[in-house]
Amino acid sequence: MSTADAHAGAGLRRNQRLRLWEHAVYAPIWRPLAAWIGLVLIVLTYIPLVWLVVMSFSDRPLSGIPHPLTLRWYDELFATSAWIEPITDSLWLALVVGICCVLVSVPVGRAIPRLRRRGGVLLITLLPLFVPGLTMGAALFLFIRSYMHFKLGMWSVFVGHMVWALPFAFLLVIVLATRFDHHLLEAAEDLGASAWQRFWQIEFPIMRPGIVGAGLFGFILSFNELLRSIFLRGTETTMPIYTWAQASSHQSNVPIIFGLASLIFGVTLPIIGTFFWILFSRTGQSR
Amino acid sequence: MANALVSRSIRTWYTQAASGRWTVPTFIIVWTVVVIVPLFLLLLYSFLETKGFKVVWDPSFHTWDRFFETGRWTVAMRTLRIAIGMTVIELVLAFPFALWLAKGCRSQGLKAILLTLLTIPFFLDLSSRTIIWRALLGSNGVVNTVLMELGITSEPVEWLIFTEFSVFFGLAAPYFATMVFPIFLVATLIDDEYLDASRDLGANPLQSLFLVIVPLCLPGVIAGVVFTMVPMMGEWVVPQLMGGGKVNMIGRSTEDALSTLNYPTAASLSAFVLAILVVLLAALTLLTRRRGGIAGLFEALKL
Repeated sequence: MSTADAHAGAGLRRNQRLRLWEHAVYAPIWRPLAAWIGLVLIVLTYIPLVWLVVMSFSDRPLSGIPHPLTLRWYDELFATSAWIEPITDSLWLALVVGICCVLVSVPVGRAIPRLRRRGGVLLITLLPLFVPGLTMGAALFLFIRSYMHFKLGMWSVFVGHMVWALPFAFLLVIVLATRFDHHLLEAAEDLGASAWQRFWQIEFPIMRPGIVGAGLFGFILSFNELLRSIFLRGTETTMPIYTWAQASSHQSNVPIIFGLASLIFGVTLPIIGTFFWILFSRTGQSR
Repeated sequence: MANALVSRSIRTWYTQAASGRWTVPTFIIVWTVVVIVPLFLLLLYSFLETKGFKVVWDPSFHTWDRFFETGRWTVAMRTLRIAIGMTVIELVLAFPFALWLAKGCRSQGLKAILLTLLTIPFFLDLSSRTIIWRALLGSNGVVNTVLMELGITSEPVEWLIFTEFSVFFGLAAPYFATMVFPIFLVATLIDDEYLDASRDLGANPLQSLFLVIVPLCLPGVIAGVVFTMVPMMGEWVVPQLMGGGKVNMIGRSTEDALSTLNYPTAASLSAFVLAILVVLLAALTLLTRRRGGIAGLFEALKL
């Protein structure tokens, strides 16, 4: 059988499968309804994003009406410098968290699937994913401040961020490491490759999406983290704490925040958008 | 020169980390200190008391007694009501959508776009995304202006913002993806042969749905509930910005207690959330046990 036939056969089977699902699950009403629900919620998610950007150009941003348009808020934003220190602190912190996520999640994450009893290890490793930020923040605060009597500062915010971001990095690395075929490494060893060569020339290229993702997750999760930071900050101020303080305080500073948030979205959106687009469209093809 | 030194030390470090048997144990020990110990300490603190702004080592149920008697109980119940209510709503909305996304969506491109769109907001700051709803739903915001211009109401609709409704509304979008993803992942793994078999055996679509698909999706549903309900119980930004201080949830009370140095009360509030987490995680472990536990889910993800 030629490849073309094989493809046609697979295509036919896929259509049959789809029909099977439609028949079972999406009997008349369900199918369009299911798709519409998702669409409505996605629209609800993106309305605030779009409107935030629109409002940052509005003369009366708190009315929610984009008229008349102005650049006033951006002028005011660049006239003050109160946000510069929080944003630099946040960027540095996010960078360190991102790098540490890669350095920890790669060696540990690739070792976990090789353990014999990994259920418990996985549960402990991924536990912070399930614990609300507030609870984890309060727990770390009690531990560091009240029990150990350490002084809070950027270092404790860093600990809080690692506890939050590392499990996500692990998720990516562990999924890739579980898929990884270890016979490749054995073959390389038989052919005389050193441990470093085996990693750098074989494992690294295959694990690259996980490694890049781990760093990216660490960076962005840390950059946007609020709940843990609030408890662990001591006297430091990160970007999300600054935004939160302005948003929850009264009125006058809110318009500036719209401008600042729009700028930040403008930088982060394309990066994560591209990353996930590549990730999801690749996994889609491999199926 | 320096470059070569750096690259060599990275190599040495990596080769040791990769080959050493101590990598995972060391990590687990450090992780236990920064994650497990603080959480246990939190539980412990909830059985202590403060006297004169100091935590006194005298284990008792006083803090818990007061937890059930004072306004904290009302707050805890409101939190539970909002979290459970919203989780049920998300489940009803997300289940059909996740199934459709996993099995019914014909275009791979559309699927990738939808998954991307669902993932992105998770990485964006929630407070700036939420504050904007005030401008949209407030008494002189867009929605009310439009309603009054059209003559549908003469007075602004006040319950759109700073009510329990608005808190529900504000939570809907941020917590949709957390419910969709686990169900989506589990649904992708369902073997189509099961459906074929159930139809051959004479099941009608509804029977196939409730006797075959729903049970197979159950681990995903429970995982979705964990990822949606537990963080929602600790939610802070949305109730504050959408509830405007009128809809207090556990998050706000915890922060209040901590800022007045009332550590045991803060600990008891968080322990309440933890208890619910433990119950849900136990349910998840029991449900996935037959398929090799949580580790089994990763094996299945080999694709």
